[in-house]
Amino acid sequence: MNGFLEYVPGTSLLHRMNPVAKLLFAVIFAIMCFCTSNLVFLGAMLVLGLVMAASCGMMRQTFGLMKAVFVFSLILALLLILTSSSGEPLVDLPWGYIGTGSILAAVTTSVRLEAAAIPLFLTFYVTKMSDLSNSVVKVLHVPYKYAFTFTSTVHFIPVFMNDMKGIMEAQTARGVEFDQGGFVNKVRLMVPLCVPLLVSSVRKTNSAAIAAEVRGFNLRTRESGYKQYPFAAYDIAALVLVIALVVVAVILH
Amino acid sequence: MTIEFRDVHASYDANTPILRGVSFTVNDGEFVAFVGTNGAGKSTTMRLVNGLMKPESGEVLIDGVPTTQLKTSELARRVGFLFQNPDSQICCNTVREELLFGFRALKMDMDDAARRVDGIIAEFGFNPDDDPFLLNRGTRQLLALASIVVLETPVVVLDEPTTGLDFRECVKVMDIIRRLHERGTTVVMVCHDMEVVADFAERVIVMSDGLVVDQGPTFEVLRNRRTLEAASLVPPQIVDISLALQLMDPALVESPIARANTLAELYAAIAPDAQAVSFEGVAR
Ligand SMILES: Nc1ncnc2c1ncn2[C@@H]1O[C@H](COP(=O)(O)OP(=O)(O)OP(=O)(O)O)[C@@H](O)[C@H]1O
Ligand SMILES: [Mg+2]
Repeated sequence: MNGFLEYVPGTSLLHRMNPVAKLLFAVIFAIMCFCTSNLVFLGAMLVLGLVMAASCGMMRQTFGLMKAVFVFSLILALLLILTSSSGEPLVDLPWGYIGTGSILAAVTTSVRLEAAAIPLFLTFYVTKMSDLSNSVVKVLHVPYKYAFTFTSTVHFIPVFMNDMKGIMEAQTARGVEFDQGGFVNKVRLMVPLCVPLLVSSVRKTNSAAIAAEVRGFNLRTRESGYKQYPFAAYDIAALVLVIALVVVAVILH
Repeated sequence: MTIEFRDVHASYDANTPILRGVSFTVNDGEFVAFVGTNGAGKSTTMRLVNGLMKPESGEVLIDGVPTTQLKTSELARRVGFLFQNPDSQICCNTVREELLFGFRALKMDMDDAARRVDGIIAEFGFNPDDDPFLLNRGTRQLLALASIVVLETPVVVLDEPTTGLDFRECVKVMDIIRRLHERGTTVVMVCHDMEVVADFAERVIVMSDGLVVDQGPTFEVLRNRRTLEAASLVPPQIVDISLALQLMDPALVESPIARANTLAELYAAIAPDAQAVSFEGVAR
């Protein structure tokens, strides 16, 4: 069973790469996608992302992500189509028109969002959270406190989702019908559930904080981590590649 | 109200079967305990009873009606369900609201509800205005139990109602369950404490690795060495002593010692002539 953003073990190149290199690669890659509006180039980046996903056996999860991003980008695309009047007019609107340019812009936005999201998403699945935070502390000199805050936030997401599921089941067993009625009804039924969720999450964070304190959280420094995170040749190569891609993206505009 | 499982298969994801052909019947008004190792599939079985899960194949029948044909609210009217963790169940700001929650969810008559809730508050000795989240573990468990009891469903399913409670709270909880059963409610309980099982259950169903490995009257099951071994169960102390004595002297297998269920019976079997002391008081 695998939860949301939960580490998937493996030995692929992406698994073995330096966590910092992965993170930098993914972030620069995402920025790069916003540097260009060249649809062909963005399409190629999307394919590159899918190749990376395939290389570490994460196709199923990636398709799940793509579906979610697609729904989101559909909203953006719709806005773009209705508001940007450019290219050959196709349909007249009271405030302008829908043109070939609008359609192109909408498609570009969708492809861009998909392409930008995949490497970031993969990074979390192929990197252990502890490695990610430790290496960020070691290599990038980020204070441990911040790294820890970030990783525990991400770590708690699946825990909360699980809690929410448990609470909904408890209510279902008492006769609350989540499966009946529309969206509004569902939201109305879910509001009272926020109370137990909040209570259990405050309890959990509280006890996590105490557990961290008693184990000397405050004493931890950059030197405390035992594991070293050296850069290998392929890490450098990946960073060179992504920077080259940025240059191409900027040139293509 | 009866519960019947017919060759039920169930799982959380397709690759790992959890229940692999479970069949049993719980009759109207019975008190049945489910025992077995961690991960045997007891909780999964309970989730099938109240329709949180549906069988992949086979049938779960509540009074002859498959759970697949019942809405969640219809099932909730028939089966009360106590979760292992009371915190996942409690969601209101006061004890009183919490007890009324089930009636609201099931859209039942609120005048009748208020009357029943008042009765329960008096019976359990709650303070109706307390904040449920500030109560201690035992009281929260009692509140969760009370919010099930107050609905007066014909079946109650209890997943480890006494785990994590001290002796006094455990006795309180079991006392309520006993009274519930005496009123005619069908009780199905998952329990790891064999002393509790021996004291309360009429029948035991033993699960191991997604299968029912044994079922029958409580002491028959708890005295069966092969069953105890298959499900890694530690029998109640009296049965343990009786089994140990039988191991030391095989001739005792036919004696009353092999049939003793309580300390008094065991004592009477070992020393039939001694009459001076009644062990009833001690055994309780
Ligand atoms: N939500 C879930 N998703 C996936 N697998 C689960 C889930 N809940 C339980 N399981 C698995 O199903 C199996 C049976 O679990 P179940 O909770 O029914 O056991 P149990 O007999 O109640 O054990 P315990 O005594 O620990 O409560 C276990 O191996 C468990 O890992
Ligand atoms: Mg269980």
